[in-house]
Amino acid sequence: MSDLIVILLNAATLTSILMLVGLGLAIIFGLMRVLNLAHGEFVAIGAFAMVVAHDAGLGFVGGLMLAMAVGALGGLLLEWGIVRHLYDRPIQAILATWGVSLAFQQLLQLAFGTGARTVPAPIKGAVEIMGTAYPAYRLLLITLALLIFVALAIAMRKTSLGLDLRAVIQNREMAESVGINTARTFSISFAIGSAVAAVAGALVAPLVSILPQIGVNYLANSFFVVIVGGVGSMGGVLAGSAFIGGLDSLIAYQLSPSLSRAIVLLLAIILVRFRPQGLVKP
Amino acid sequence: MSARRTGWGGLGELFRKDRSHTVIFLVLAAALLVASPYLDYYNTTALRDAAIFGLFALSLDYFWGKTGQLSFGHAVFFGVGAYAYALVAPELGGTAGSLAGLGAAVALPVVVAGVIGYFLLFAGIRGDFFTIVTLALGVIAQQLAISWVAVTGGDAGLVGVPPLTLGGFVFYSPTSSLYLALGTLVLLYFVVATLSAGHTGKVLTAIQCNETRARSLGYDTSAELLKALMLSAGIAGFAGALYAATSGIVVPDLVGLLLSTEVIMWVVVGGRGTLVGPVVGTFLVMRFQQEISSVSAALWPLIVGVGFVILVFTAPNGLLPWLGRMGRRLTGRRTS
Repeated sequence: MSDLIVILLNAATLTSILMLVGLGLAIIFGLMRVLNLAHGEFVAIGAFAMVVAHDAGLGFVGGLMLAMAVGALGGLLLEWGIVRHLYDRPIQAILATWGVSLAFQQLLQLAFGTGARTVPAPIKGAVEIMGTAYPAYRLLLITLALLIFVALAIAMRKTSLGLDLRAVIQNREMAESVGINTARTFSISFAIGSAVAAVAGALVAPLVSILPQIGVNYLANSFFVVIVGGVGSMGGVLAGSAFIGGLDSLIAYQLSPSLSRAIVLLLAIILVRFRPQGLVKP
Repeated sequence: MSARRTGWGGLGELFRKDRSHTVIFLVLAAALLVASPYLDYYNTTALRDAAIFGLFALSLDYFWGKTGQLSFGHAVFFGVGAYAYALVAPELGGTAGSLAGLGAAVALPVVVAGVIGYFLLFAGIRGDFFTIVTLALGVIAQQLAISWVAVTGGDAGLVGVPPLTLGGFVFYSPTSSLYLALGTLVLLYFVVATLSAGHTGKVLTAIQCNETRARSLGYDTSAELLKALMLSAGIAGFAGALYAATSGIVVPDLVGLLLSTEVIMWVVVGGRGTLVGPVVGTFLVMRFQQEISSVSAALWPLIVGVGFVILVFTAPNGLLPWLGRMGRRLTGRRTS
């Protein structure tokens, strides 16, 4: 019984992280159809923002803010400097963003060294849930991730940017012809997507060893979150992250983590084979 | 009609239409052959590795360049070939072991490509999705290579892979293995170039331009793509076996994401779809890499990364088409 609760809560933790990373990617890939292979690096940047904030004594909230700011700024720069010139050349966009990803990794390594860094969790101790003790920080992470998800879902529904975004996702030409500034919508969305990924990195920082290469771990998984869920919908991101995150924690409990990652990706490929449109149709 | 359908009809086509590329390729190969006796040990092995990786780049270009589908996990086929040779060749030893190893190194990647390709291509997975899925395959393969210690040796890899032995001759010295690599490269280049210039290549080009239209002309486009992927995987696996046999060691990096990326880089630098370009690109980039690494090994990924971005903006079609354009512009000026 207590094992089951731990597995479920571990699955919820991983799902929350993947949900945030996938959310950013869903906005970028779903909206602009750009395979942004540098997306994982924003997770790494967010995690290192937490390291910097911790070293500087800014605290956990300061770290989240720093990650969000750096993520948004980095996303804006990437879109402005590179991606916007390549919207009509998808293969070139893949190559350029992959180049950016390699360069980011190396720059992080030059700045922080090759060794793994760690940051302490802002809250210690455990909370008892149905007779099982579970780390309090993980519960905080799940809560924050859900709050961000709900906030973005509301923003998509209620704000004019959200309306523009949904219009552009559905039909770019039509949106443009009714006067929506797609270029502006694109760059703001790119910044938001990158910021959310960076926040995910900051949130996951206390749980992992922070290496310059951690972004790659999230890249393939988050792409599958988006594809498995269904490109272009918030509900799809939720379904996709639950599928990937849930299976990964379940299998990792029985087998090694690296084997479970391989198996989950394999299962995701099989799912994509039989349901290319994803679990949730937009 | 029948001559064209047999594939070898492409040979005539190759010499009529793509003469400049073929000539470039033959001149370069001849130059390397002539130069090889004067090279020192280090440069001989470096050149040999470049020839092997050039073969690998050629295999990717046959698939990516001709069909337009980007495989972001092509190192899987190279690495599977390398592991297959390293596992099979020592079992029998000698010529029989080498031949069985080479056979396994071609067969296994072809089977893997067949299964993956059948699974994905016949489901209509193309473009972005194909790229993401193949990228994930690279991640999967690397995880397996690391965690399946009993077979792959884990992170340490497999050492002491026997050199290629054919009828009593052991390709052990760097010079002999350089000849082996160059010879294979030239041979397989002609196979691939002939196919590309012939009917098969035309069908693939038609699919790349407009798959729906190609299908409506009666071609089973998924099957054509699958055949191209399997041939490409077989050549990549063969290159992997050559690498294992000449370097004597196989490590998980050979199926990894970085090698998959680097082979894309080689193809892009040289010129995607030109077949010669990727081979030349491999030689140039690897030479450049040695120069950089002698200064700082850590700098290389940064340069690869920035190099991708610069290439995309300055020479999106690669160096060969870029040089061709420059050449035409210069000669054009001269005549006017």
